[in-house]
Amino acid sequence: MNRVLTIAQSEFLTLVKTKAFIIGILMMPLLMTGFIAFMSYAESHVDTTDRAVAVIDGTGVLFEPLARAADAHNQKAGTGEAKTGPHYLLTRVNLQGRPQEDVTVELSARVKDKDLFAFVEFPDGLLDAEKNLPMRFYAESTTARDLTNWIEDHVNDEIAKRRFSDAGIDQALVRKLTAHADLTTFGLVERGTDGAVVPAKEIDELSRIGIPMFVLVLMFMSVMTGAMHLLNAIIEEKMSKISEVLLGSVTPVQLLLGKLLGVVSVSLLLAFVYFAGGMYALVSFGRSDLIDPALIAWFLIFMISAALLFGAIFLAIGSACSNLKDSQSMVQPAMMLILLAYLGSFVVMRAPESGIAVGLSFFPTMTPFAMMLRMVMPPGPPMWQVVLSLVVLLATTAGVVWAAGRIFRIGLLMQGKPPTLPELLKWIRL
Amino acid sequence: MTQAIEIRSVSKMFGTHQAVDDVSLDVPEGSIYGFIGPNGSGKTTTIRMIMNIILPDRGDITVLGERSRGAARDDVSYLPEERGLYKQMPVRRLLRYYGRLKGRRPRDLDPVITQWLETLGLTAWADKRIDTLSKGMAQKVQFIAAVVSQPKLLILDEPFSGLDPVNAESLRDAVLNLRRHGTTIVFSTHDMSAAERICDRIFMIFKGRKVLDGSLDAIQAEYGHDTIRLRLGQGVGALAGLPEIEAINDHGNHQDVRLKSDPQAFLQKLVQRTTVLQFEIAKPSLHDIFIRIARPTTDDLQATGEGAR
Repeated sequence: MNRVLTIAQSEFLTLVKTKAFIIGILMMPLLMTGFIAFMSYAESHVDTTDRAVAVIDGTGVLFEPLARAADAHNQKAGTGEAKTGPHYLLTRVNLQGRPQEDVTVELSARVKDKDLFAFVEFPDGLLDAEKNLPMRFYAESTTARDLTNWIEDHVNDEIAKRRFSDAGIDQALVRKLTAHADLTTFGLVERGTDGAVVPAKEIDELSRIGIPMFVLVLMFMSVMTGAMHLLNAIIEEKMSKISEVLLGSVTPVQLLLGKLLGVVSVSLLLAFVYFAGGMYALVSFGRSDLIDPALIAWFLIFMISAALLFGAIFLAIGSACSNLKDSQSMVQPAMMLILLAYLGSFVVMRAPESGIAVGLSFFPTMTPFAMMLRMVMPPGPPMWQVVLSLVVLLATTAGVVWAAGRIFRIGLLMQGKPPTLPELLKWIRL
Repeated sequence: MTQAIEIRSVSKMFGTHQAVDDVSLDVPEGSIYGFIGPNGSGKTTTIRMIMNIILPDRGDITVLGERSRGAARDDVSYLPEERGLYKQMPVRRLLRYYGRLKGRRPRDLDPVITQWLETLGLTAWADKRIDTLSKGMAQKVQFIAAVVSQPKLLILDEPFSGLDPVNAESLRDAVLNLRRHGTTIVFSTHDMSAAERICDRIFMIFKGRKVLDGSLDAIQAEYGHDTIRLRLGQGVGALAGLPEIEAINDHGNHQDVRLKSDPQAFLQKLVQRTTVLQFEIAKPSLHDIFIRIARPTTDDLQATGEGAR
């Protein structure tokens, strides 16, 4: 047992000390947080250049209210160091009898000269609901989405106000009468053991999509990190004859178990780091109600099984190959199993209680992904399904680890072309 | 004398290939036993069976008095020919890892590691990664990895190949020193002169069967009666057309000649042909004996199609 732990410790240290692991895995939450913080800062701070916009107001009535809205906007955007966005500087254009085409050409030249950012045309019949004419916005830059949305919203508000007024309807009353009622989704209400009603939990985007995605990505990442490391490590050991030296000290089964234990430890470290980060985020956002210790425990059980199952498959494949090139083709079917589990999870996320989701969650290579997703998505599967799927998964894992041990024993000393599937099956039976 | 290794009628087949065929061997404790044989003759298979990495189909192997599988594993170390080390591991961590896999405790290992690093001039490299070492240094680290557990039986496969003479000499001293302290050493090599210099006994395997086993003197005596070292007035040309000669190894100023018949009668015939400056019944070198055993026979050549060309 000591030797298994020695191998596990060495595998663990070798994997977690690689730059790829430290940067790619441990730093990922930090990088993601930093990225999100930067994006949110950039969104409000990056472009504070004022936008000078010329307005050709064919209606004669829209410019004034829009200019007032611009003043309000500019005040909100702030000034100096505290400025969070561009000011909109509107100027009215008088045609003074000139053809509109000439004026638009002239304004286009001013935009090119950076004298203006853009100009906008409100056609004469814009207020007429029957005509349904469009406004036209002209700019050299295509990154003026905030500005065009702002103009569209405010002009439409003003147009609606005027149309209601012309029709003799009080717009405030209309707004009141047509107020939108929101729909909020909840789980079910229960009565606790003390007889008191336990209020239902709100099901929002975070619990509907955020948590399942977090679970899925973490499961995928821990499986892939461990499996790929094992594949590469065992081929390196085999190619450089390290495995021969190791087999002089430990049995193939001890070597296999030590390596598997090493990657399970790495998966646990990953889970610890990500859960710590995730819980910190949930507590910060005031959503500590979403933290469920029982689900975390179930996740760890499924993750350990997945790491063992896929780790054993990849180790067996690696031990049967003599070089990295052979392993690339031999590992394809195993990679497909992981990818199918990952992609199948999206089917489960869409309809966790559907027949196909239930079926997928009982297929051993899918179980850690599909069943775990069903568990984090309310109302969750019946407990008997969870236990049964775990039993099937554990039995399969034990079988695969045993078979991998048989292949490992022979594969490690074999050189030359990789074995065919019938040969692998023969090694298992030997 | 107590035997470190006892091999009794051991055979091993891989598919239809008979890798080892009914081999028996005793390796006395505290000796250096040379394992020689051409590539593919069954040396590595024999070593792997001694190491318990593979099991024989038939026969028994007792290592350090233990017949059961794996029992003697901790006191046996193996240095394979193709060097393999974890490239990204620091030297000391790697040596500690190998020692711990042999069941040694870290606190017992550290002084041994320090001592060996010093002996082989690697102290300054103790915390450097393997991939920063030169080939020779890595080879010495591999050697230390094999001896760090202070094994009673050490199996070395070509330990000196690729080393410069200075490093080869320091490793050779280390091997001899280990033997002085009671370690039994199995030395597998193609370097016949190295085997001659340091081995007490030689075992040769050819096509899976034992063909030589004994002390160097005994082996040379067995093969020595028909080898003559000659120096002739007319050089090698004087030997042309003599039916008594089986093979000539021409060294320029002298020739080693293997005879089919009685050397005395041959000498009489030779003095009639040329001036004989030197005529010595010589011991054949291990190299000569190896070649004599392993050189393909006419039958072999015909079987592989070589003879037809």
